[in-house]
Formats: sequence, C-alpha cells, structure tokens
Amino acid sequence: MRKFKKIAAVAVAAAMTLSLAACGSKTGTPSTTEKQDVTLTMWGAEEDQKMLQGMIDSFIAKYGDKANFNIQLGVESESTAKDVVLTDIEAAADVYAFASDQLPDLVNAGALLCIDDMDGALKSYAGKGVADVKAANASGSVDAASYNNKFYAFPMSADNGYFLYYDSKLVSAEDIKTWDSLLAAAGKAGKKVGMTFASGWYNASFFYGAGFTTGLNADGTTTIDFNGKSADGYTGVQVTKSMINIAANPAFMAIADGDISNQIAGGKLCAVVSGTWDATAAQAAFGDGYAATKLPTYTLEGKQVQQGSVAGFKLVGVNAYSKNAGWAALLAEWITNEENQKIRFTEREIGPSNIAAASSDAVAANIAISALAEQSAYGVVQLVGGKFWDPTATFGKSITDGKLKADDEAGIQKALDEMVTGVTSPVE
Amino acid sequence: MGKVKAGFHAFFKSIGGFFKDFGEAVVKGDLFVKLSLLWVGAGYARRKQFIKAILVTIIQVAVIAYTFGFAPEYVSKFATLGTVQQESVFNLQTMKNEFNDYDHSFLILLISVISFVIWFAWLLFYIRNTTAVYELQKRAKEGLHINTFIEDCKELLNQKFHITLLFLPVLGVIIFTIIPLLILILVAFTNYDQQHMPPSSLFTWTGLTNFINLFGGGGITVTFGYAFVRILAWTLVWAFFSTATTYIGGILLSLLINNKKTKAPKIWRLLFVITIAVPQFVSLLLVRNFFADGGIVNTFCANIGLTGWLRDIGLISTSYIPFLTAPIWAHIMIIFINIWVGVPYQMLIATGVLMNIPAEQLESARIDGANPRQIFWHITMPYMLFVTGPSLVTDFVKNINNFNVIYLLTANFFVTANQAMANSQAKETDLLVTWLFTLTQDYYNYKMASAIGIVVFVICSLFTLVAFNQMIKGDREEMFQ
Repeated sequence: MRKFKKIAAVAVAAAMTLSLAACGSKTGTPSTTEKQDVTLTMWGAEEDQKMLQGMIDSFIAKYGDKANFNIQLGVESESTAKDVVLTDIEAAADVYAFASDQLPDLVNAGALLCIDDMDGALKSYAGKGVADVKAANASGSVDAASYNNKFYAFPMSADNGYFLYYDSKLVSAEDIKTWDSLLAAAGKAGKKVGMTFASGWYNASFFYGAGFTTGLNADGTTTIDFNGKSADGYTGVQVTKSMINIAANPAFMAIADGDISNQIAGGKLCAVVSGTWDATAAQAAFGDGYAATKLPTYTLEGKQVQQGSVAGFKLVGVNAYSKNAGWAALLAEWITNEENQKIRFTEREIGPSNIAAASSDAVAANIAISALAEQSAYGVVQLVGGKFWDPTATFGKSITDGKLKADDEAGIQKALDEMVTGVTSPVE
Repeated sequence: MGKVKAGFHAFFKSIGGFFKDFGEAVVKGDLFVKLSLLWVGAGYARRKQFIKAILVTIIQVAVIAYTFGFAPEYVSKFATLGTVQQESVFNLQTMKNEFNDYDHSFLILLISVISFVIWFAWLLFYIRNTTAVYELQKRAKEGLHINTFIEDCKELLNQKFHITLLFLPVLGVIIFTIIPLLILILVAFTNYDQQHMPPSSLFTWTGLTNFINLFGGGGITVTFGYAFVRILAWTLVWAFFSTATTYIGGILLSLLINNKKTKAPKIWRLLFVITIAVPQFVSLLLVRNFFADGGIVNTFCANIGLTGWLRDIGLISTSYIPFLTAPIWAHIMIIFINIWVGVPYQMLIATGVLMNIPAEQLESARIDGANPRQIFWHITMPYMLFVTGPSLVTDFVKNINNFNVIYLLTANFFVTANQAMANSQAKETDLLVTWLFTLTQDYYNYKMASAIGIVVFVICSLFTLVAFNQMIKGDREEMFQ
C-alpha cells in the first residue's frame, strides 16, 4: 500500500509540474477586428449589491467599446464563497469575492485562475500589469493573495482582522496597554474583558506575538511550530501558561466563536477583542466611551510581549473555468482598483487594501479601521489548510475549560503535541 | 426465520425460471424467434404486431446508439477513472482560456453507473422479449387469438393495470435512489477528497483503504477509528434514549390530557401541538441561545446561586454551566430538549391509539378490581406496544439519522476539548450523520463520508430486519381479539 501511495504521490507531483509548466500564456496582441459577446457572472455580498452594480456599470462604460458585455450579479457572502464554489466549480461565477483564509483550499481545488497569466490581458486593456497591482496594495494583502509564489486574486479590502474595542469611561488609555492592567481595571469596574479562545484564528495571536509561525506546504498540509521553541526563544508551553493565566482571571470572559456581537450587546464587557464587523455593536454598547486600539501586551516569562494577530483580507478571484477568463480578470481588477476601494469605504466603511486609498484622512478618522491599521503592524498572514481549525479550536477550549493547568507543564506539552499532530496531518 | 428462508427460495426459483424460459425459447423457437435475438422486432413483425415491432426496434436502436456512440468515452475509463489531468493555456487574442481534452473522474463514474443500469435493464428486456415472442409462436401454433396493438394497450389499462401504475414510481426509484446509492457506494472505494477534486484533479480506486482507516486500521487517518467508535456509541445511546423518552412521555401526556378529570383537553393539546407548528430552525436555535454559556439560563442560574453551588460540589469548573458546551452536559441537555420537541408527535399518535383500546377490556379490568397502575401496565402499554411497535422501530432508525436536533443545537457552537476527536473533525455530540455532513460540507472528504454512509445503512437495515422479524413473529394479534 505504501508503495502505491508513493507512486501516486509521484504521479500527482508530475501532474502538478505539468500544470504549472502549462501556466504560461501565448503572447501576441489582442485582435481588434470585431466585438466579442462577453457574458460574465459575478458574486458579491448581499449588502454590497447596489454598490457592485454601480461598479459593473462603470466597468461597461469604460470597456464597452471593446466587447459587448452582459454581466450578471449574484448574491454570495465572502465568508461562504468557498463552500459554494467548490460544490461545482464549473457552475460557479466567473468573478467572486472571498475571505483570504479560503485561498489555499480554492487553489488546491483548482478553482482560481492564476492571475500571473493575465499579465498580458491586464497590460493591453487596463494599462497596468500584475506588478502594478501588487505595488498598489499593502504587502500583507499581496501575501495573502499569493500561494506557492503565484498570485491568485486581487486584494479588495483589509478589514478582516481583530483588535481591541474598549469603553474609555471604564478603562483608561494606560490600562489598555497590558492584559494584566486591563483585567485589573475591568475587575475593579465590575466588568469583563472578552475574547474568543476556542478558535485558531484568535488564539494563535498569542503564539504569533511570541514569534511562532504557521505556514502551508505545496501539498496543502499545514506547518505549525507551536509545540516547539520560537524564533524569539519562547516555548509553546510558556505561551500556553500565559494564556491560562489570562483565562483564569475572573475578569476574563471566554466568548464562543460567533457569539461576540451578542456578548457586546449583553453589556457585561468593558473591552473585547473583535473586528470591524462589530464596530456598530461596540459603538452602541460603549456609547460615548467607544474607543478602539491595538491589542495589549501580555506577560510571558515575566516580560511584556505584544500580542500578534491575524491580518485577514477580502480578495476577488477569477474562476479557473471561466469561459471569458481575460475579461473576468479585468472585471476583478476593476472592482478592486483605487477608485472602487474608495467607493467601498465611503459607502460601506470597508477598510481599503489599496495603499493610496487607505492613506486618506477619512480612513484615518474611522476609529475601528485606524485601530486595525495600528494592529496590522503585528499582524500575520495566516495561510493554513483546512486541518488547522478543529484542533486549534479544541486547544483554546481546553484552556478556557480549565482542562489544562498552568502548573502541569507535561500536560500542556502533550496537548500542544496532539494539536500539532492534528494540524499537520495529511490532507485527504 | 422460516419465512425468510422461504422468501429466498422463491426469489431464486423465479430467477431460475426466468432463464429457463429464455433457454427454452432459444432452443425451440422458430426462425423468427431466433432472428429476434438479432433484431428484437422480428418475432412481433412475423405475428403482424407491427407497431410493437417498431417500438422495440426504436428501443434497440437507442440502446445501440448509446452503447457505441456515447458510453465508450466514459465507460472505457471506468477502470482508472481517468488519466488526463486538466491543463489550460490563456489565449490573448480571444481573451479566453483554452483547455485540453481532460478527464472528469466524477462524470466517468456517473455515466458508467448509468450505463451499467441501462445495460442491465436492456438485458432483462432482451430476455423477456425473446420469451414473449416464443409465447406468440406457441399461441399461433395453437390457433389462439393474438392481440392487436390496441388490445395490448387496453390490457395495460385493465388486467395489467399494475404495470402501468408502477412504471413511473419504479423509474423514479431507479433514477433518484438506486443510481445515487450506487455512486455513493462506489465513492467509498475511491480517494475522492479535497486533494482529488474533479474537474481540476482526478480520483481513482483505492480498494478497501477507507474502511480499514474507519475501523482503526491506522494509515493516514490515525484517529478516525477512535472517533468512529465513540460517535457510534453516542449515536446508539442517543437513538435509544430519544426514542424511549419521547415514546413514554407522549403516552403519559396523552393519558393525562385524556383523563376525565382534565379540564379543557383541547386547549392543552393545542398548546403542545404548537411546538410542532413552529419550525425547528426557529425553536431549536432559540433554545440553543437560552442555554448558551452567556445565555439567559446561565445568567439566571448564576443569580440564584446554582452555578456557584455546582462549582462548590465540583460538578463544573467554569464560571458558567456548560449546558451545551461540555460533553456529558450537552448529551443530557440534547436528550431533554428533544423530549420537548418530540413528545407532541407521540402524544398525537398515542391519543389516536388510546381511543381505540376496547372499552370492554378496560371495563372488565376495573370490575375485576385492577387499579389504574395495573390497567396501565397490563392493558394500555401492551396494546400500545402492539399497535405502535413498527412505528417505534422506524422512530429508532429515524433518530439514528436525526440530523436536525443535533445539528441545530451544536453546529458551530459545541467545541470539543478532546484533541483526538478534533483531529478527525469530530466532536462528542456528533451523530454519524452529522459527522458525515461536516466531512463532506467543510472538508470535502467524500470518500470517508461514503464509507460512513454505508456503515450507517448497514446498522439501520440490520436493526430494522431483526426488530421487524421479532415483532411479526407468532400470532400475537390474537391476544387482542
């Protein structure tokens, strides 16, 4: 059996090399003899539909003389795009938006067009190449849109990260600097500080802060070093002990993944770790005291270490099976360019990934988005495979459950080892 | 068991007869019967049944066209499920991607299965056709009347009406049940998963690997066997308790409501039926939020000091009661919440059955001095069990696959603290069917999901067979005459 697997692996690798080699493009100039009929479908979030229709209209206004466009707009949330696309790739939209953590699965399933191949098309019609697109967007967003050194999607927004919301009436600007002082102040005020531990998206922030890393191999498996020693010289056990100390504080509230908005509205919190999607809820709950900033530092082996975070982005990709790949790529480029990212911010308060769009005064004045930008200095692009999520969620849960004890180093090491085994297990 | 044996015997005997008739037709048939082995319409044409001859010829031509025109492209690759990987090149002139002539493993599997079903149906038709024309030959020899086409049609509406009636349902069962089922079964023997997803990659046959992994044979999925055993155990525990509690609860409730001392029974019944009227999506999600770690019930328990007391006696270690977030708590809560959801259905069934208990039996029992408890255990319950026994079996099977309650109460909500479970994408509250759902929906692990699906099917069918066999054994009906 093992031998067969080896052969299969070699065959798969050979096939991959072939398809990579094939990932080049014929050169030549576009023909201008006759106007093609181009039918495209695009998926976007329900609340963005009106805005996206406006962008489609401006796209047709710009390129209408090159081809006859018929562009359909459909509803599909960025957070669930992967599930729907992978159900039947050939039937999915030509252009769709998705959260950056879905990129590896989409690429592995062959659902995303390699944008590098579209360089010629972009240069001929939009007047800018892939390099220009990369240069115009924040480097983190370009990393998040790349896999195995190939560029797979256009960065659309940089709002998929978390930071600290707090009530400035109850905790001072001094208190929010460290977890210890924040929890102490919260305890004094009779309130709690909330964070989701039972999710690898949130709890990895402590590890990233201490110099641990996660990554993705070419075969889709995840690499993770949380059970070893980090570049900064800390061990995973030490980080876990710090997390246990935070979780054990009576002023700490462990919030279930997806329950944060409810808890903010519940009124028990004076500070909470969340993202821009909870800005309205936090504003309503904290009222005049509504404020946001980067995450605090936490005590690790007696020293203060800045908590890291996951820098997430929304991307727009092109279906690899699109009948009109070139025009689909141009449409994706259009709805993510500087002007349209600005429109996205003014109409929907979505933080831009485009550097020029992000540097405007209006963006700087937005409390949540500027806190996100502040935290992004410590943000890490979390490229991981599907096997990452369940084991890391369970690890976080066993911390808040009290199943792991700070004085039981062997138990912590065992839990970390088991988590790493699960995360790094082969994809099937 | 005798009945089963007799059933098998009759089954094989009829198959044997089917082939015997065919053999006899081939040997003893005249030239046209033998010719109809090549052209299926020959026998009918000889007996002047021209319309019938044309119809069967059309079928023959269609099957031949399908077999040689369409099927070979796919069926010839069935052994490997495809070898040509998809590749594409972008053409700047046309602004389109140009694809090679790539294989699509799933289409190959699908078309092959459909072809096998069509060919099997053709084989049956072909044999039946030959015996039918031989029958015609015999009738002609004996000088009996041979039906015209119109008479044949009339027969389908009269003596052979059952064939007309069953045609569409059988076709539906084949297309919507048999073919998907065959594909599901076949997928369990392939490596169709996230790494092998058509159309971009190919999948192929892997033999029994998936089942070996499922039953703990190691391999790449080390913890699958571990998770499978635990989930199977919980599935059976859940199916037993959810069936038993709602069944008994429903009977007790309907006895209570039907009691002469109960005032306004209709209003009470209505109140409980409302639970059925509200969609489970709504009610269960609400209940889930009530019992959340920071939910209303937890706030209440903390305020009255219950949470603190439970912590003092060491039942919980958290600052809340983990109603739906810790394994044992969640197991008990799910069964409790299911009582609330399931009892009204059983109450309605029980009400109907209880009204049919022969009044003279109850009367005579009362005259003989039996107390209500004795009447319940010796008359009501046996009668209930006898009448509702078969539905109890189906309830049990339904609960093995009770997706709604488990999924709505725990999906994206319950996080397991057991690393070995998490490494197999399972959690303690999962039933086999919800685990299967997670594997396909979130991890695209179709091969394992298929293997689990087969196991669920085997468990359910075995249980149903045994239970029904026990139930219909003997002449228990007479006990109640």
